[in-house]
Amino acid sequence: MSVFDGLKFRKVYSPIHNLDPRMKFVYVIVVFVVAILFNQLLVLLALFFMPIPFVLLAGVQREWLRSLRGAVFLATFIFIINIATRFLGSGYVLTIIDVEEAIAMTVRFVVLVESFSVFFLTTSPDHLGLALEQTRVPYEFAFAFTTAVRFVPVLAEEAQTIMDAQKARGLELEKGGFLKRIRNYIPILIPLIVSAIRRSLELAEAMESRAWGATKNRTNLYELKFHRGDFLLLAINLIMLATAIYLRLQLHFGYVSIPTISQILF
Amino acid sequence: MPVIETKNLTYTYPGGKLPSIKDVSMKVEKGEFVLITGPSGCGKTTLCRCFNGLIPNFYQGEIKGEITVTGLNTSKKHTYEMAKHVGLVFQNPENQLFALSIEKDVAFGLENLGVDREKIRQRVDWALKQVGIYDIRERSPHEVSGGQQQRVAIASVLAMQPELIVLDEPTSFLDPLSAKKIFAVINELNTKLGITVVLVEHRLDLTAKYASRIIIMDQGKICLDGKPRKILNKEETRLLGVGIPKATLLHQELLENKLKLRNTTPLSSQELANFLEELLKTK
Repeated sequence: MSVFDGLKFRKVYSPIHNLDPRMKFVYVIVVFVVAILFNQLLVLLALFFMPIPFVLLAGVQREWLRSLRGAVFLATFIFIINIATRFLGSGYVLTIIDVEEAIAMTVRFVVLVESFSVFFLTTSPDHLGLALEQTRVPYEFAFAFTTAVRFVPVLAEEAQTIMDAQKARGLELEKGGFLKRIRNYIPILIPLIVSAIRRSLELAEAMESRAWGATKNRTNLYELKFHRGDFLLLAINLIMLATAIYLRLQLHFGYVSIPTISQILF
Repeated sequence: MPVIETKNLTYTYPGGKLPSIKDVSMKVEKGEFVLITGPSGCGKTTLCRCFNGLIPNFYQGEIKGEITVTGLNTSKKHTYEMAKHVGLVFQNPENQLFALSIEKDVAFGLENLGVDREKIRQRVDWALKQVGIYDIRERSPHEVSGGQQQRVAIASVLAMQPELIVLDEPTSFLDPLSAKKIFAVINELNTKLGITVVLVEHRLDLTAKYASRIIIMDQGKICLDGKPRKILNKEETRLLGVGIPKATLLHQELLENKLKLRNTTPLSSQELANFLEELLKTK
């Protein structure tokens, strides 16, 4: 099942992968905040190009582009809705400013998607679990998270086996109308759920046998520490946030104005 | 003091009509390598669960009789306390590994016990080296072979330095060659580190030579208990459908054919080959 292959995280060493996930998450939040603060296309375009050095450093270009391609449908939708409401709202006239604003809204959405995808493409689930633990999220939740990630490919493989077995007994998945097709999946879902429950029991047994819950003060083999790169990212985050807030305030009181792209071009 | 001692141990699963194990009385001394075998559903797995306190702590149901393991009364201790003394390795390697890297999985028990980070690192590395998977420690457990997964499972209980390791059919998901290697690893734990081993297994062909004792169970009871050579030579053993090593069977047949072989029951083809060589030399 190729859909789930993305979850099989391979350990990669790159300056970006080695960054502390907490810091990377702060970066995502900062990008979010800045993207929400401004609706000028110029700023949003700057944000749009921001992650590219990160992506190149991490060497995840192909995966990153794939995730962007996934956003194309929704982005088009957002663009059309924006254009349509502006067109209808202003009495069937469409100015170049309207188009620019619609593009800005679309770029804002893409910015959110791409910064999130950089985060998930360069953070191993293990690291993420560790980050959760170190931010004092109860260990049970962090464990549930990493275990879920660990078992997705296993369950996907099992679903495939069950599907093959049922097909071998004459089950036709692609037959009938929409409702019939959904009903066709029942003979696959039931064995899958039953075996998942059985698996979880065995898992619980194994956890118990390895001293699960022995102490409240659980230790961890790994520890997240801030390195040079993390401080660098921290600086980038702070500068970005401070500049954005300053600029936004200046804009608010009318001391500066951000030119639109159409002003620059024409 | 024996490592395991049970007296008339009887246990019924919740909702079960018949007890899964009946009147089991046994003793395992320190340093022994005990092989438990018997037809499927004879209560071997249930017995394993009793050894580390999963029964009666994790599974409810009705337990009667006495059981002490490493001097502790399993029904009065939490399973996590037993985990320090008894390591249990399960049948399906996939369902007992849950971390995203092998070394993290091996560290799991020690982390739960709250051991210091440096000490965890030391013991994890030690355990990984003992079972020979130190080189793949950073890989994910689900991308290595079944044999390696089972080694991870063994390392993960070994890291807690238990006095007793119980293995419940650890090779039933493995091919013969990986199984052979796993048994060699288990044997080393027993001979080199002096850990008491209880191994539940059908493949006597590969394991009989390591065992210091064999226990045969049927329908929840212990039928036979004794030295491997003695047990495997008995008619009863064969009738129970236990997979007696081919070498042992061949030896029996050769003796019936009045071949003047040495009268010790061989446990491996190597031994039988030696006997035959002796015979040929004397002639």
